[in-house]
Order: sequence, then structure tokens, then C-alpha cells
Amino acid sequence: MSAHNHAHDASSAHGHDAHGYGPHHVTSSKVFFNVLVTLLFLTIITVAASRVDFGAANLLIAMLIASVKASLVIAIFMHVKWDTAINKIVFLSSFLFLSLLMIFTLSDQATRGRSNPIHKMKAPVDWQFVQPKPQPANH
Amino acid sequence: MSHDHGHSVVVPAPGPGLLPHTVAHHFDTPTQEFQAAKLGFWLFLATEILLFGGMFAAYFYYHQAYPETFHLGGKQLNWQLGAVNTTVLLLSSWTMAMGVRSAQVSDKRKLLIYCGLTVIGAVIFMVIKIIEYKAKYEHGFLPVFGGMGYDEATGQLAWYKDYHGVMAGVPFGNLFFSIYFTMTAIHGLHVIIGAGLILWIMKGAAKGRFHAHYYLPVDLVGLYWHLVDLIWIFLFPLLYLVP
Repeated sequence: MSAHNHAHDASSAHGHDAHGYGPHHVTSSKVFFNVLVTLLFLTIITVAASRVDFGAANLLIAMLIASVKASLVIAIFMHVKWDTAINKIVFLSSFLFLSLLMIFTLSDQATRGRSNPIHKMKAPVDWQFVQPKPQPANH
Repeated sequence: MSHDHGHSVVVPAPGPGLLPHTVAHHFDTPTQEFQAAKLGFWLFLATEILLFGGMFAAYFYYHQAYPETFHLGGKQLNWQLGAVNTTVLLLSSWTMAMGVRSAQVSDKRKLLIYCGLTVIGAVIFMVIKIIEYKAKYEHGFLPVFGGMGYDEATGQLAWYKDYHGVMAGVPFGNLFFSIYFTMTAIHGLHVIIGAGLILWIMKGAAKGRFHAHYYLPVDLVGLYWHLVDLIWIFLFPLLYLVP
């Protein structure tokens, strides 16, 4: 590896390295401000949507809006949009692994006790909440 | 490796009042240094996502198991204060992004101003958080340290007291508050660490260490601060606005 190829390194990766002392992508103040306004607007939408009763869909709607907000923060504020491929893969793969944790945990929970009765399978613990016997007040 | 050991690359300062940067001796070029540090930091941030991700998984699991507990628990929180804190963090994320941008264009004065504003945002956030914690403590919602009491609905001994009985009628009321306190406290710890790091950046910026030719630490601290904002974007609707 040559000691003096840094200018070439940076310009080949980003195409606009003015000085050769690191990969620059200077986002315009206008873009940052527009993202801020969008994030604040989506916060109002989040609160407004939670005031309306959509039943079980409320949680889904809140998470969808939060995901849009998070994507804006990651892409623009965190500069991931202009980052190198390896950095994108490293960071975004954490969400892939997180989704594995979520999907298997929650699908397991949602399908408890629904196993095929032919196999006579039973959950080892009754996961349903059982109203217990009232206790005497002995605080 | 064509570099002699003991001879490091020095990046010149781009203007008056700014300091040159000496590239760490084990790197050949400033770009190599920048990319190595940044890849390492992204790996760290990936572990942060998984740290909070485990807690979010716990949240969703118990929310699905005891929806009425989370519904009632969320109602005990002050969503107006939560919304103010969301706004404060979004604004501070913007000032941090502008601070990194100021470093990229060698604007020392604006870098200090934007970092200062970000720290003020962190302080406002934590003050509001303490006000909220105090109110929850006075209701006896703080697990373990708030003392023990009987859960009205289950009749079981619970690691919290519910002085006003607002959580009576739903099972495991302490569950919601355990998750609330754990998630917001670890998030709050990140806010405090982030504010400390930004103060450290300001110290270096005042000396002129950060400019267009070397802004790596500003960039990394900025990423950390945006992560704090990122987590809160999900915490706010899940804890304060739970349906």
C-alpha cells in the first residue's frame, strides 16, 4: 500500500474530496433543516394518531411513523446515505438481527397452545393469566 | 507499508487558529485512519442497537401478554412532558448534525455554538426526566427502591408500592414500571455520557483541533448523539402513547 495514495483513495470512494484528508460529504444546512421540520411534523402526527382509537392498529401505526423518523435520522443526520458500503452493512445488519429476535419471540408467543391436538402437545406452563384467590389484607 | 516507523503523517491545519493533526503512527493515511475508526464505531453502534433491542423485545413480549397493564401504565405517564422531551432531542440532534457540518467546513465558532446548544438540550431533557421520575417515585412506582407491596390484582408480593391504587385491577402493574424505568434510565445514561462527550469535543474545538482536514471525533460523537435520539423516537410512542 502506497503511503501517498490517500487523495486517490478518498476521491475514488466519494468523488468530491477537496483536500485528500478524509472522505467528506458536507450536507447542506437546508437539507438538515428540512429533515428537522419533517421529524417535528411526524411527532405531531404520532401524538394525533394515538388520540384516535384504531384498536390493535394503533401500535402498528406508531411503529410505522417511528420507523420513518428513524430512517430519516439514520440516512441524513448520521450520513449513512453517503457512507461506505461496509459501514452501511455493519450498521443496518444490526436491525436484521434485531428483527430475528423480535419475529421468533413474538411469533412463538402468539402461537402458544395452538399446536396440533393430534400430537397431544401441551405447554408446560399455563401462560394465560389466572385470576388468583383474593388474599387477606395484611399490609 | 512504505512508511518508516516513527514517522507519522501530519495533516496541516486548513487555516489560522486551527491545529495540525498527526495521524496515528499505525495508519498510512488520514483516510485510512478515518475509515478504520468509523468502521469500529459503527460496530459499537450495532451493539448498542442490540442492547436496546433486547429491551424492546421484552417490551413487546409483555405488552402482548398483558395489554391492559401497559394501557393503564402508559396513562400514568405525562405524555406532554414526553412530547416536550421528544422535541428537545430532535432539536438537539439537528444542532449536533449542524455542529459536525461546521467542523467539516472549519467553522470553529459555529462548531462551539452548535455543540453548546446540544448540551443545553441534553440538560433540559435530563431535568424533565428527573421531574417525571420524582412524580413516579411519589406514586410508589419505582421498583425495588420504592419498597414492597401487594399487587391488588394478583395478591402477590410485588417489588413496588402503588400508594394510590391506580394500577389495581390489572395484573403485574410493576411490570410496566420496571420496563419504563429500565429503558429510560439506560437511555438517560446515554444522554449523560453523550453530553460529556460533546463537552470534550468543545474543549478540543476551542483549541482548534477540529476542522475540514480532521473532524473524526466530532463525527463519531455526533453519531452517538443521533443514536440517543433514535432510541427515544421509539421509546416515546411505546411508553407514553401506548394504545
